[in-house]
Amino acid sequence: MTVRANALLTLALIAAILLALLLGSVPLSPGRILGALGLQGNPGDILVVWQIRLPRALAAALVGAALGMSGAALQGLLRNPLAEPGILGVSATAALFATFVLFFGLAGAGPLILPLAAIAGALAATLVVAIAALRTRSAVTLILVGIGLSSFSAALMALLMNLAPNPFTLADMINWTLGTVANRSFADLAYAAPFLAVGVGTLLATRRGLAALALGEEAAEGVGLDLRRQRLAVILGAGLATGAAVSLAGAIGFVGIVAPHLVRPFVGYDPARLLVPSALLGALVLVLADIGVRLLPTDSELRLGVVAALIGAPIFVWIAARGRLVE
Amino acid sequence: MSVLEARALTYRAEDRPLVEDASFRLEPGGLTMLIGPNGSGKSTLLRLALGLLAPDAGEALIDGTSVRRLSPTARARKAAYLPQTRPLAWPMPVCDVIALGRFAYGAAPGRLSAKDAAAVERAIVACRLAGFEDRAADTLSGGELARVHLARALAAETPLLVADEPVAALDPRYQHEVARLFAAAAHAGRAVLTVVHDLTLAARYADRLIWMKDGRIIADGSVADTMTAERLAEVFGIEAEVTPNGSRVSLTVAGPAR
Repeated sequence: MTVRANALLTLALIAAILLALLLGSVPLSPGRILGALGLQGNPGDILVVWQIRLPRALAAALVGAALGMSGAALQGLLRNPLAEPGILGVSATAALFATFVLFFGLAGAGPLILPLAAIAGALAATLVVAIAALRTRSAVTLILVGIGLSSFSAALMALLMNLAPNPFTLADMINWTLGTVANRSFADLAYAAPFLAVGVGTLLATRRGLAALALGEEAAEGVGLDLRRQRLAVILGAGLATGAAVSLAGAIGFVGIVAPHLVRPFVGYDPARLLVPSALLGALVLVLADIGVRLLPTDSELRLGVVAALIGAPIFVWIAARGRLVE
Repeated sequence: MSVLEARALTYRAEDRPLVEDASFRLEPGGLTMLIGPNGSGKSTLLRLALGLLAPDAGEALIDGTSVRRLSPTARARKAAYLPQTRPLAWPMPVCDVIALGRFAYGAAPGRLSAKDAAAVERAIVACRLAGFEDRAADTLSGGELARVHLARALAAETPLLVADEPVAALDPRYQHEVARLFAAAAHAGRAVLTVVHDLTLAARYADRLIWMKDGRIIADGSVADTMTAERLAEVFGIEAEVTPNGSRVSLTVAGPAR
């Protein structure tokens, strides 16, 4: 079942990325796209495919995968279907740290400054949330801490915007808060990818422990889980992956909650087998949403994060309203 | 060598002793029930004995090795533990919950070696859960769920099984069913240690009773030897009539002691 779900999602993801290459302001036939992918044919086509459409589609896929898996892993660790980088304030804090770097013009110091700042923000927020989670053990308190953290980050972000020295910095910051993968280059991908890979790898290594945590923390310890190491690894993995995602696309919410929720019944509610299909579905959702963003005939292009929130927030409310919260 | 040995275990929280100088040994093949009023330190003693909590003094040994020196995996291969609160976070199928009992052997739901699968199968049979394997855990009754948790613990096939109030909040029928499963596990050669609140259940099934009051073990022995009207009054503050009944006793609780 899991294998088939993963295979189906992988095929759908590849199809979606190909579709993202096909669609755009310049109409290109499938033949010209394939030619350009193989670096054959019209140099203009090659430019459009390799410089614009492919990095953009891949960025959407990587961000979706990182957020989908981080969401699934945090839900497993905190034993709560509403845990997610966006809800818990992790994305907002990462975006805040990145904006801070932009505000003070530090990003020019080196290409790694921005991803590192976003990752530092994500790790700091994940740590705060995890400490709160361990102290209270109440799902409601945890969500409230996340909301508080989100609001605080949003307030600091608003402060930075308020103090923005010029309209260009302001526009930059708005892009970060709204979340977008437009104009991403392979260089941007290359700077975020190593962090993302380490984060995803760390999360995958915690899989079996996440399954054990379904029994409750005490029982999980009883069956032989090293609880401290497990918590640390998930926090680190989710922080790295989410931070890398935010450094690529800014704050994009709700992917990490919607993707695992939809996949869960197909993997027998096993938190371990949930990780990979959640990443694949997260990637698929964002690639498709980004296609939608590009095709919608709006005067100024909609931001991906805005669309993700427009779709995701109602689903979040729906899950919260009908789900049994783990108390 | 004892399966479990507690040596003068002591644990304090904010200078209040929760467990004080508690010593006992468990040998294979017996059902030992730990009884005492609320707050007498029973759960804390279980956690200290398993090394899940570090004592302020004393030490616990499993199979002759100090629990502090056992890795979580090594400990879990020797001792299975059923904590008091056992909320499942997700409605997983029964067979996957039981499969988690094999965690210490490197197994996970859907990833069981032949040996793991055989152990899970034996646990399912022992707890009479055949036919329930694919049921979602959230569709089970309280009694069925208690059996699933026990099967999870049995699947580890450890020489020691420790449970904290495994029959709390169950209907009488299920209480007896689950108590019988624990007795069967003990008579199959395990050392079983469990906290029980229901005194008639303790009188009926325990091979040995460890009595706790205010963090101290105040009596330790067979039901016939230790369950007396005086002790019930002293430990639980109840007035009860205890009459010999074969190798055990019959218990009639009249009410709170005057």
